[in-house]
Amino acid sequence: MLAVDVKNIKKTFTSKQDTVEAVKDVSFQVKQGEIFGLLGPNGAGKSTTILMLTTLLSITDGKASILGIDVETQEKQVREKIGVALQDTGIDNLLTSKELFFTTCRLWGYNKSDSEKRTEELLELVGLTEAADRRVKTYSGGMKRRLDLGLSLVHSPEILFLDEPTTGLDPGSRRVLWDEIKRLRDTGVTVILTTQYLEEADELADRIAIIDEGLVVAEGTSDELKASIGGDVITFLFETEEDIIKAQQVLTDSVQEKMELRITVEDGASKIPGYLKELTSAGIEVSSVSASKPTLDDVFLEVTGYRLEGSEEPVEETPTSTRGR
Amino acid sequence: MESNRTFLTQLQILTKRLLLRVIRRPLAELPNIFISAFFLFVYDGALGGVFGGSAQGTPFDFANGNFVNFILPVSIVSASVSGGASGIYLVEDIESGVFKRYQSMPISKWAIILAPMLVGALRVLLQAGLIMVIGKIIGADPAVGAVGYFMVLSIAFLWGMGFAGYSVAAGVRSGSSQGAQAASFLFFPALFLAPTFVPREALRGWLATASAYNPTTYVIEAMRAIMVDGWINDIIFKGFIAAGSFAALTLTFAVLSARKATEKA
Repeated sequence: MLAVDVKNIKKTFTSKQDTVEAVKDVSFQVKQGEIFGLLGPNGAGKSTTILMLTTLLSITDGKASILGIDVETQEKQVREKIGVALQDTGIDNLLTSKELFFTTCRLWGYNKSDSEKRTEELLELVGLTEAADRRVKTYSGGMKRRLDLGLSLVHSPEILFLDEPTTGLDPGSRRVLWDEIKRLRDTGVTVILTTQYLEEADELADRIAIIDEGLVVAEGTSDELKASIGGDVITFLFETEEDIIKAQQVLTDSVQEKMELRITVEDGASKIPGYLKELTSAGIEVSSVSASKPTLDDVFLEVTGYRLEGSEEPVEETPTSTRGR
Repeated sequence: MESNRTFLTQLQILTKRLLLRVIRRPLAELPNIFISAFFLFVYDGALGGVFGGSAQGTPFDFANGNFVNFILPVSIVSASVSGGASGIYLVEDIESGVFKRYQSMPISKWAIILAPMLVGALRVLLQAGLIMVIGKIIGADPAVGAVGYFMVLSIAFLWGMGFAGYSVAAGVRSGSSQGAQAASFLFFPALFLAPTFVPREALRGWLATASAYNPTTYVIEAMRAIMVDGWINDIIFKGFIAAGSFAALTLTFAVLSARKATEKA
């Protein structure tokens, strides 16, 4: 049985002023025990898709099921099966992590003694045992994310939805969370995560769907996606704008990015001398040239026509405090 | 896991969580208690010598010789506005994402909505109770006997739930703490367009007319009957009806608003 089966779902928000199609047509399938990544920029429709699958938003059109259970008509049964950690961490800053785990355990139906046991297990699991009695407002961003993840695991869900789990974290905290997500996958939990970080999708996801403007524009494993654009990427660097303009006459299928031109060809290394000869003959000076295998970044550029800007620049992590009244 | 995840258990767990939040912010409780106690001391000090009753040789007798009995209901009504915090608790949960987390779990949405109202109710009882204790210390003595404290507290509770309902409705409709806090702004016109300092018979002109249509008037008059005059059943009954109707109206408004807010978009 599929963990998640999404067929042509759409989401339209209608207000008095206008109508917005946040998700135009999204379909994908996730097998049990895999990490599935929804990669795309802000506003692509990733979070809206997650909100629909977690029963928090209605589906305008199409069908979705979780472990064969219909998301629209069997909300309660779906909620029993899933764990959810959304972008807003949804954590009460005035309580301690121990109190939050205990409260959440009780809400999931554990009795008091089982709640105490489960709380200890989960604190250990997400590495917060030492900070268990501190109020959450004193936690760093990474600790809050780990707590958020732990809270979504209280009832041992079969499927875990993580909406941009590492946004705003420093590289170290990101790595800790990645390891935890992989460990969960290894214990059989299916993970569906959204991300705008290429590196995160590449590192974590067994399969990736690239979402752009509410549509799935590519889907597959990272290697499949890279292979889909074929061959190698040759990057030419030029000193002047004039050289670039002239070089585009020679490298007709190239894509410009700042002072570089990139072309994707089979067996790139062997073709470099020929290109250089043509460029030199045309009086164009090339500063440097290199050939490489395509990256997920190249795939994204190929299928969307633009790069996922700023995707590799995590925000500095700082402890946050609660709002005062 | 237990199979009996009942509505009441969920309500109890969620209420306990919110009470922990209240305990963790004791300073948030102080302003309303302080203002209510301030009203009691200042009005007693400033007006007691004029309206305190013939027993003290004062010019007017509104209080059968005990002005604390007469003015205490004003402070109790003021303390009951603390029920307006209910909406703020709810909006804080919406703003922090806690509300959405609970919505993604198999929890009754009514437990999520009612828990802050219940905490608001407990807050009203605590604050109004505290003001009564202060009143007792400085000389309050209900004309109907000790049961009067319980009756005044009951009216205050209903009145406070009215503010709780309004704040929850305003909070979920506006989605902001400011919207929820608007409940407390209702309080001042409601309090001062009523026989706050003198009996209704002493009001005149437009204020006399306005006070007749203001439910706060009947709440204060009922409390005063209990404290000052004794068992004047029709006045006490009207007070319960006014406070109960206010609570029923705003709680219905809150439930309708909450239903709309928790519907899936």
